[in-house]
Amino acid sequence: MDLASIMYLAVTFGLFVIFALIVGNTYKRKNKQKKEAPKYRMMDDD
Amino acid sequence: MGKPQYHTDIVKSFVNWSLVWGVVAVLVGVIVSFQMINPDLNYPPYFTFGRLRPIHTNAGIYGWGVGTIFAMFIYMVQRLCKTPLWSLGLARFQLWLFNATIIAAAVTLLLGYNTTLEYHEMEWPIDLMIVVLWVVFSINIIMTIIKRKEEQMYISLWYMMAALIGVAILFTVNALAVPVSAFKSYSIFAGTNSANVQWWFGHNAVAMALTAPPLAMFYYFLPKSTGVPIYSHRLSIIAFWSLIFMYLWTGAHHLLWTPIPDWIQTLAMAFSIMLIAPSWGSVINGYMSMKGQWHQMRDNYLVKFLILGITFYGLQTLQGPMQAIRTFSAFIHYTDWVPGHIHMGTMGWVSLVSVAGIYFLLPRIYGREVYSIPLANLHFWLVVIGQLIWSTSMWISGILQAGMWNAMNADGSLTYTFTETMVEMYPYWWIRAIGGVIYLIGILVFIYNVYMTVQKGKEPAPKLLEVEGRA
Amino acid sequence: MWEKKPILLMLMATAAILVGTTITMILPFVWVNTEADRIEGVTPYTPLEQEGRDIYMREGCNNCHTQTVRPLVAEVLRYGDYSKSGEFVYDRPFLWGSKRTGPDLARLGGKYPDAWHYQHMETPRSIFPKTNMPAYGWLSNNALKPDKVRRKMQVLGFPHSEAQIAELATKNEMDAIIAYMQKLGSDIPWRQTGRTEIVGELRNPFSGADQTTLAGWRPLYQSNCSACHGTNMEGGIGPELVGDYYDEETLFRIIYDGIAAGGMPAYANLGSERVWQLVNLIKYDQSTGD
Repeated sequence: MDLASIMYLAVTFGLFVIFALIVGNTYKRKNKQKKEAPKYRMMDDD
Repeated sequence: MGKPQYHTDIVKSFVNWSLVWGVVAVLVGVIVSFQMINPDLNYPPYFTFGRLRPIHTNAGIYGWGVGTIFAMFIYMVQRLCKTPLWSLGLARFQLWLFNATIIAAAVTLLLGYNTTLEYHEMEWPIDLMIVVLWVVFSINIIMTIIKRKEEQMYISLWYMMAALIGVAILFTVNALAVPVSAFKSYSIFAGTNSANVQWWFGHNAVAMALTAPPLAMFYYFLPKSTGVPIYSHRLSIIAFWSLIFMYLWTGAHHLLWTPIPDWIQTLAMAFSIMLIAPSWGSVINGYMSMKGQWHQMRDNYLVKFLILGITFYGLQTLQGPMQAIRTFSAFIHYTDWVPGHIHMGTMGWVSLVSVAGIYFLLPRIYGREVYSIPLANLHFWLVVIGQLIWSTSMWISGILQAGMWNAMNADGSLTYTFTETMVEMYPYWWIRAIGGVIYLIGILVFIYNVYMTVQKGKEPAPKLLEVEGRA
Repeated sequence: MWEKKPILLMLMATAAILVGTTITMILPFVWVNTEADRIEGVTPYTPLEQEGRDIYMREGCNNCHTQTVRPLVAEVLRYGDYSKSGEFVYDRPFLWGSKRTGPDLARLGGKYPDAWHYQHMETPRSIFPKTNMPAYGWLSNNALKPDKVRRKMQVLGFPHSEAQIAELATKNEMDAIIAYMQKLGSDIPWRQTGRTEIVGELRNPFSGADQTTLAGWRPLYQSNCSACHGTNMEGGIGPELVGDYYDEETLFRIIYDGIAAGGMPAYANLGSERVWQLVNLIKYDQSTGD
């Protein structure tokens, strides 16, 4: 494998890790109520 | 606490003017579709296909598309922030400048002042007007958000802010040019660089002007129309950030097999495939919000527009990545297939969601019920059928065209001359033009319905009046 | 957190937007249009050619014509050598286009003689009977404005002489756009380097074909040759075709290779079988002129 391929893989993997962290953090079970609250707030009379 | 006094007159004006430019865009589109069938319909120097086609695209994007964005953002931002628009004066100036810009763009394009950069054909003085317009608009929206009374910013506001920033960056960079005279300039970018910058702009203008804003509308109008909240706030977080991160890598899928560096093409291809995920994040969020509510597809015409709209978005974001694959691009790029794709996005996705928004607004800004639901349904079927005829005919002709361009004899020679392949397109161009006419009739039904609502609509149910403060 | 702080959200969004932008839009400037891209022989446009290019842009020709040949078999056969980055360094902006309602023009330069272009622009259907190309004969009525062109050349920094500027006063917009089209893609000698060599002895595979067979090949003549050599081979832009003038082998080579100096395009992409059919038609069909 040449340098370009290794870089390519590294960047791909790095992006995936960041993505997994965001998903993990967003979907943390204990946050469910809090995280989903805004969708009800916008339904208020405006 | 009393209701804030929302500004609705300015929303009315933007809705009305965006409809005017929308009709112009579709009408010019129908005209150029007939010019492609019969070259004698070109009346030089002003009314030729080459000069009218940029007017069609730019009236569609900047007149109808951006005009609707102005109307909807100004409406939504006040409701979501529970506060009146930051500056009504600025918004009135914006309305004036908006129409001046669109008229100036149409006149200069007709005169042949054309940079040839697609969706950015206007020459530098018009570019300056557009920049001022966007800055004025952005300041007003952002200041309203900063002064908001509701701490939490709803999903729609994220997409709105991303669109404000994205369009500003994209448009300004692609506009960089050295003026020679009042209406002629040369881009500071040359050749391959110019191509790469243009399609970074071109593709992401679709992201920031024709994807993020309709998504902002969709996330707002769907729950408001069905009365049921969006399925998942968390899914929308993931979809939003992935979408605005990934889009910017994909411009070069418009340039596959051209002389731009290979690695840019490969990245564009990979990210285009990945974009399916965030796009479908929103589609799934829309569909799941309908759980237990599917009967509304029958009972509530607004839902019909919105759900068909998001369905076309879903199809669009599957077809797009497919086209971004090198082998597939080699076959269909430069053929009629591509306009078929684009028009599913503009006529299907963007316009269906925008008109749903307008139908939703009418009772709330005019204080009158929509004049006729049967007419709204007629409008729906005309535009959906018109668009399907339009796009399907172009997909078929695109494949036929590509097949003929690539056909080779046993001795390695080409089977068809270029003209022989063009002649085969005429029947499909007729079908396309008919699809366009049906679509235009649909728009006219819509405008009649809007006009009659304003003139003769019934007083709304008391609840609505109570809900809406009127400025 | 960011859902409650608009400035933070906008900063994060800007950052997200700038990653892909930096890598795929800004970074390429390091490699593109640099010395590594340079091609010997690629020259800036002359004042007449540049003005022609501006007319091409003004009329929106890019809406129907592309200017980039992809490295794909059928495409190289149809249009010529695939496009190279270094060929476009003087194009501000690029004119690669995105739709081929008409054919690609990247390799148009030198394909046809000027006379062909004048006739085609004036009445496209006289050459391609069913084309949807609009007529542009009206360009001949518009004079060029030398002072404006001088200013353009100065802004672009392209070399130009006062003689070239002065000459513009005698030209019209049609002359300019045709001069531009004749330059397209001809800065590199691809016609010479890409030419197919015919090796071995040439033998007419259709020797002695009867008149009915010959008649069956007339459509081939009509779609490829008649625009220049006349419906009945009586001549036009190109000369009258007289059957006895050349022997079979010479005629074959002329059609197959073209005569660059004489404005005769090469028809190698028809394949040798069809070129032989044309040779037989021109030499032995008795229904035509000679």
